[in-house]
Amino acid sequence: MPKPRIGIYGLTSCAGDQLTILNCEDEILEIASRVDIKSFCLAQTGNEETKLDIALVEGTVSTQKDLERLREIRGRASILVAMGTCACWGGMYTMRNDISRTELLKGVYGENGDKYFDSLPAQPLKNFVKVDLPITGCPIEKKWFLRIFKAFLHGDIIEVPNFSLCSECKLKENECLLVNRGIFCLGPITLAGCKARCPSHNIPCIGCHGPVDEANYAAEVNILLDKEYTLEEIKRKMGFFVFNPDIKQRQ
Amino acid sequence: MKFLKLPANNLPEFILNLRKIGEVHIPIKKGEKSFVFRKMNKPQDISLMQLDYSRTILPLKKYFYHPTETMFEFSRDGFVQPEKPPEVHDIIFGVHACDIHGVLTLDLVFSGKYRDEYYFQRRKNISLIGLSCMPDEFCFCNSMATDYVDTGFDLFFSEIPEAYLVRVGTSKGDDMLNLSRELFEEITHKDINAHKDYSITRKKAFKRSLDIRNLPEIMDLEYESNLWDELGKRCTSCGTCSMVCPTCYCYRIFDDISLDMESGRRRRQWDCCLFRDHAMVAGRHNFRQSRADRFKHRWLHKQQSFAGVFGRPSCVGCGRCIEDCPAKIDIITESNKIQGE
Repeated sequence: MPKPRIGIYGLTSCAGDQLTILNCEDEILEIASRVDIKSFCLAQTGNEETKLDIALVEGTVSTQKDLERLREIRGRASILVAMGTCACWGGMYTMRNDISRTELLKGVYGENGDKYFDSLPAQPLKNFVKVDLPITGCPIEKKWFLRIFKAFLHGDIIEVPNFSLCSECKLKENECLLVNRGIFCLGPITLAGCKARCPSHNIPCIGCHGPVDEANYAAEVNILLDKEYTLEEIKRKMGFFVFNPDIKQRQ
Repeated sequence: MKFLKLPANNLPEFILNLRKIGEVHIPIKKGEKSFVFRKMNKPQDISLMQLDYSRTILPLKKYFYHPTETMFEFSRDGFVQPEKPPEVHDIIFGVHACDIHGVLTLDLVFSGKYRDEYYFQRRKNISLIGLSCMPDEFCFCNSMATDYVDTGFDLFFSEIPEAYLVRVGTSKGDDMLNLSRELFEEITHKDINAHKDYSITRKKAFKRSLDIRNLPEIMDLEYESNLWDELGKRCTSCGTCSMVCPTCYCYRIFDDISLDMESGRRRRQWDCCLFRDHAMVAGRHNFRQSRADRFKHRWLHKQQSFAGVFGRPSCVGCGRCIEDCPAKIDIITESNKIQGE
């Protein structure tokens, strides 16, 4: 059987997810021997933009160029994987989507700022193309990347965590920051997978894995209002990762 | 049964002596106001022991029924059980009556038609030493009739002034006691009266109550009640109640394939019926599509359908789900509501 042809790409992003793949130090050689990596700009030269069995795409669509590139990749990939919270949900790039691009460009690049770049309100891949599989995380979890990768190669059903962070946090026997200390924590509506990395160090969850399926935003807002956080603060902090107008549209 | 008295001053020495026959686990503080059972790594750890702890974050099930475990390893040649770790005798000191009832409930579940050897191979090596307690604002074990135990413990320590009245439950418990026999004294009538006084004081200290006698029936009658939708709106399906519940036992099974594509591990992990995928089957059909359905299912199973199979609800009234629910969903308030009170 020929090896699956893989392409790994980044749109507007920090390249953290691509870097996570490179950080799989113990497994990377084995991975490379099982697939034919046609394109991976971050890691190799001589890339070949050709038909792919799997395209892994990181980042948000934030420019016209991103959009064209995404459509071009989708056009030649049998399976498209949205890699990382930005690609899956828009992530923090969507925080300023309520302000016009012109205003933002001028704010950052000066009076003529809007003349230099094309810029679109940041959006996740699935708003434009069919995404076959999301691998969320900021960055993606090495463990889940590997498990999904292996399941895919083996032809298994791909199972990813589909429950909220609180359960993983409980298994670590962390004292609940939200309940016991009244600290602003987005655990109840955030997708698990990180084994409660931050709460295990007394740092509340800011939702970097994106929202859990059917996240109960209203209930989380009520929980936080009950702890005397203002609606303004709740909106601001939720808007960081787990809740933004783009997500709302798709619920 | 055999009873003896241990002066409170002798307790540390008794516990340290237990380390001669096994690993000793004690309740210690975690964070600002939470507690966990943790292994004593060195004798000095005794100073961390919190005898007046309210409840631990995870119940005892973490010891017998690991949150994640490998069931077997497989390859093209078949499957093998993972190598068993050397058998260690674990002694858990300071277990409250409700938690012992929780363990007895899990024993029932896992010893059913398909006996769960993963559970019992650990369970058989663990001894429980009970400890009396005063209820806080979340406790309702008296309503669940789990505030006293007559079985399930090797020794049970009941607090009396400046001492413990120690009840021997098993021969293993007797052996533990004999390790430090010189620390114990015979009980007197004064001690019995003190024990009875403690019991009366404790009974009066419960602030919450739930009438479970007609609860299964009412829950059945109110199967279509709007209450479930209201609760479904408040619940975030975070799964906390399930993880911390002494008697929640559901798990999911998955395969972790190795990169060689030739071998792997079959693993299991605690699951929760509040999670969306729990009742999802082939073709993505979901028997409990809405959060309200899932909420109702969990609660009915705990208080009603478990009783239908095992003769009593599986809830032991430990109060963990009430204390830990981020949405402050309170099983007592809501049960009272459904009962029309």
